[in-house]
Order: sequence, then C-alpha cells, then structure tokens
Amino acid sequence: MPTPPKRPEENQVKDVDALIQSFEQLGYVTDRALATSVYLAMKLHKPLLIEGHAGLGKTEVAKVLAAMLGTRLIRLQCYEGLDVGAAVYEWNYQKQLLAIKIQEKTEQTVEEKEKHIFSKEFLLERPLLQSILAEEASPVLLIDEIDRADEAFEAFLLELLSDFQISVPEMGTLKAKHIPYVILTSNRTRELSDALKRRCFYHWIDYPDFEKELRIVRARLPGVEEALGRQVVRFVQAARQLDLMKPPGVTETLDCALAAMSLGKHELDSQTVEETLGCITKSMEDAAKLKSAGIEKLLS
Amino acid sequence: MHRTEPDRSATSIIEFCQFARAHGLSVGIQQTLAALEAAKSIGDVDRQGFAFALRAALTSSKEEWELFLRIFETFWNASQQTTKPASGGAREAKTRTSQPKTESETLGIECVDDTSLPAGEGQAVSGASAQRRIQKMDFSNVPQDDLAALEEISSRLFRRMSLRLSRRIKIRELADRVDLRRTIRRSIPHGGDPIVLAFRGKKFQQHRLLIFLDVSGSMNSYSLFLVRFAYALQKYFKRVDTFVFSTDVVEISEVLRTRDLPKALHGLSQKAAGWAGGTRIGESLKEFNHRYGRKLLSRNTVFIILSDGWDTGEPAMLAEQLRSIRHRVKELIWLNPLLGLEEYEPVTRGIIAALPYVDVFAPAHNLESLLELEKFL
Repeated sequence: MPTPPKRPEENQVKDVDALIQSFEQLGYVTDRALATSVYLAMKLHKPLLIEGHAGLGKTEVAKVLAAMLGTRLIRLQCYEGLDVGAAVYEWNYQKQLLAIKIQEKTEQTVEEKEKHIFSKEFLLERPLLQSILAEEASPVLLIDEIDRADEAFEAFLLELLSDFQISVPEMGTLKAKHIPYVILTSNRTRELSDALKRRCFYHWIDYPDFEKELRIVRARLPGVEEALGRQVVRFVQAARQLDLMKPPGVTETLDCALAAMSLGKHELDSQTVEETLGCITKSMEDAAKLKSAGIEKLLS
Repeated sequence: MHRTEPDRSATSIIEFCQFARAHGLSVGIQQTLAALEAAKSIGDVDRQGFAFALRAALTSSKEEWELFLRIFETFWNASQQTTKPASGGAREAKTRTSQPKTESETLGIECVDDTSLPAGEGQAVSGASAQRRIQKMDFSNVPQDDLAALEEISSRLFRRMSLRLSRRIKIRELADRVDLRRTIRRSIPHGGDPIVLAFRGKKFQQHRLLIFLDVSGSMNSYSLFLVRFAYALQKYFKRVDTFVFSTDVVEISEVLRTRDLPKALHGLSQKAAGWAGGTRIGESLKEFNHRYGRKLLSRNTVFIILSDGWDTGEPAMLAEQLRSIRHRVKELIWLNPLLGLEEYEPVTRGIIAALPYVDVFAPAHNLESLLELEKFL
C-alpha cells in the first residue's frame, strides 16, 4: 500500500480523549469504546463497520466525523438491487449521443472521437467514484445500511476498500489521491461476508444507559427541562425492556421529548404518552403491547 | 513479574490473538495485524482503552463483541499472574499461573487443540447406507439413537441444497432485450451504426419465501425438522419469513436469523405459544392475512404451508383465506407429512376445501421428500 498523503486535520486529534471532546462540541455524545474505534479507524485508514439497532446514531458518526475533520461527507445509501451505475459511475449517454452527432461532419478520426466522448466531461460520478476523486482532502465515505445491498455489491466493495482504485474500462484506472475515511453501517438484517468484516474495524452500538441517554437528550435538545428529559429517558428505557418488535432507539427518545416540549408539557404523564405514542412505537402491535404493559407503570 | 497494566509487547498481543481464537473469536492473520497496528497507534492508554482498541480490531459481530471483554480479562489476568483469576476462565487461569510466561505459547496451542476436536466427532460417523436409511425415515418414528445423526445429515443436505439452488440462478440468466445504451456505445467504432448489438438480460428476481408452519399436537414430531428446513432456505431467498401457528400465529423469522441454530431452536421453544396444541388453520391464516398479509405477500412470494390439515375450524373459512392468499402470491405450496403414508387419501374436510387453491401438494414426512421440494422452488 502506498504511503497515504498527509492530512493536516487529522493531526489535531491527538488521542481518544481529544476525539471525545471534539465530538461532544459537535453535539454528539459518545463513550470511550466508540471513540476508540473511530480514532483507530481514522489513524490507521481502515474502514469502520458499525452495527446496531436502528436509531442509535450509526449514521451520525460519519456526519460528525466529517464535520470534525472539516471535510466532505459522501454518502452511499444501499438498497436492494444497487448496481455499479448508481454506486460508482455511469456514462452520460444522452450527452454522448449528442456529441457523436455534432462530431459527424468533423475531420476527426474515429479514435479521437471515441477518446472525446469517453472523457471526464461525459462521466457521471456516483458516490464511490466521488470519494476516490476527491481533490483537496480525504472525504468521509459513509456506506449506509450495507446489509441491504446484495452480495455481489459487497464483493465489489471489498475490492474498492483494499485498493482504493476504480477501473473505468474506457479511461483506465483511477486511483485515490486521498484515501477516504470509510464508515459502513449495518442493521444486521443479514450476515455480512467474512472477507468484508475482516477488512474493517468493528463496533457494536448498544442502547445507551440512562446517564448517557440523558446526556444525549440534553446535548441535542438544549431547551429541554431537566425533569421532562429524565422522565422521557426513563420511560423509553423501560419500554425497551418490553420485547417490542421494534424497540425504540435514541431517535425515538429525542422525538418523544421534542413532541412533549412542542405540546407545551412540563412533565410526561400518561396522557402525554398516549398523545405522543407514535414517536415511540412504529406499529400497531407495539403500541398495543405498550398500552397493555401499563403506561403508568412504565412511567413510575 | 507483577504488573497491574497489561503487557503490550507484540509477543503478548499475538499470544492473546491465539488465545482469543481458541476461545471462539474468528481471528485470522489479518486481525492479528490489525490488533498490532491498533495497539501501536492507540498510544498510552489505560487498560480499558487498550481493551477497546483490541476489541475494535479483533471482533466482527455482535456475538464476538459481547464475548470479547471476558476473554480479554481472562487472558490478561492469567498471564499477568494477578491474584484473582476472572471467574469465566478459572481453569485456564490456574494452568497458566502455574507456568512461566514464556510457556503460554504452548498453552495457546493446547487450547486450539481443545476446541478443534468437538466432543461428538467420534460418534457422528455414519456410513452411506445409514445415511440413505435415515433419509427415508419418517420424522415421527425416528428412534432416539438416530436423532442426532438425522439432525446432522439434514443440516448438511439442506446446506447443499441451498447451494445448488443458488448456482442454478446463474445459468438461468438469459438475455432477452436489446440494451440501447450499450448498443450505442458499441456503435461508436463503427461510425455510429449499431452493428454489434448489446443485450440486456432479465435480472434474476430473487423470490421471497413465506413459511407457515403447523406446530399443533399432531404435527409435533415434524415441526422441528421443518424449522431446520426453513433455516437452510434462508440463504437462498431474498427474504424468508417464518410463522408458526396452532391456535395462534407467532412470527419466528427473527429467531431464525441467526448463525447458531441450536440456540435459535432453544429460543424458539420459549417463544412459540401453544406449541403442541390444537389446530385452526383457517383462523390462523385469517389472523396472518390481517396482520402481516399486506406487508409480506407479493407477486414474488412463494407461500409454503406445512400442515397435516387436521383442522378443527371451519373449512369455508380456510378456503376463503387460501383464495385471498393465492391471488397475491406467486405460488402456494402445501406440504403434508401424511402424504407419505401409503393409505392416506386427502379426504379431511380442511384439505378438500384447500386443494383448489394449492399449486403444489406434496409430502414432507422425511428428508428425501423435503429435498424433493427443490424442484418447486
């Protein structure tokens, strides 16, 4: 592997504690375990795979990292059937066709014409290619919900993550000037290939404990009243114990607190919970389960 | 040598990696290198920070993540000869402390030997004829002695089947339409005339599978293997949703989405309500349709019902529900273990009501018949 180019921003983060601080300044409350993983991935230029339930701030890690480093965030949202055309690059066919027509009467040889229409001007850069071609500094490449893409795509990604180069048949191989920081997230809807996992640092994000979640609420909703914040967090933490189909994540906690604030409530009573139940549970069954468990009981 | 901080030399990290491998983490050379790099660049941190760094490098799944800190404590406590070994690995800790530290390399190897020989390996040997015999055995009369062998063979055969199925997709991919974009691109060397045509093959649409499993009393001896079958199919289909029903419908898809099947089966027996009760297929289907139908049924869904059709509910209800499912799915398969009995005729009222809506009505009483199913999928 070639020596990675210098990155001035990265040197500002001296150690794990500095990273925790920078993250907190940006409104992301983190713990040492996660900070260590991010720090190592950053220092060693290795991809970081973050797994965990929905709504626990996996995607946010990449955003905050990009903000901290003052660099660009390039995001690739994975989905079933994601192909190279949507993830890496595509030629601008319409423009190429026009160019062919325009060139028809010129004296150029076929080779010259071909060279022209397969130049950068006609290349539509998709996220992965963008991350390779970044000019100034290493961008943060977020590959979101990799478990949704199919295995073929995963295999392709593997190649990209080891060499950081993409070959476009008509143009040759494009190599990264600045190796991007790569963050992959997964909801574990399927098992990722061992080869991919072996290449990454790994982090499992679990539900935060009471103190951490409260800190998150305070950081994200500065206007929240202390008592209300505590109640919401306690309520959501209790709801997580209920074996719901979709246990509420931190996003749901924040939604619930925000909803209660918007309704002008100063404390979370059972009526408020009923009104804002949609913030916590995302299906009819879960809502029923929550109600049958006794909202009063969960609140106390 | 008494130290409170772990020894962070390369040698001890490598030893630790071997130790972790012996204790269930899938640590390869690559991870070991990553751990060394991580330890180097994390700098001077406390014991916990060091553990976090190694964990990021050495684990690759939630299960390993949860296991890691225990392994870490066991190893460093033992090799640092502190007074109290961690509770999780008291035995190893003892053998370790009794020997000088340089010996722990051999200890690592000992551990590997320990785990590479699973306890049951000597017993699981079964000849080809035994396998054939077991393959034909009805699930309900498998003698206790053969049960382990049957489970082993079934998981092997199911795995092979799912591999075969996934290979078959590749061959089926055929071109059927002209791809205009690529044709135009190929036309450029010919001055714009489309001489070489490019084709666009139909992208293979992976099907969804929905398994509706009868776990009522009359099906009890079959259901375990059918769950196994469902588990093996998961790899091949885009999505497998599994439900068990007797008088109530319970979704078990999540339970089966794991690597560790024995554990999943254990979890299952706790989750399945009314396991081994009576059957009400019609009502169960109605409930299913109501709660999950809209979400899970689509034109690329294969719907498999595994039941003997001994229904205590209304046949009309069953027929109505099946009709509504049939309209929405690609294929409806009914597997019936009783079809394996020679004297069996599908005359129960439930089955008669159901048959008009079923595309495939097949037996599922032994391994062979389950493997036969491959051709319908």
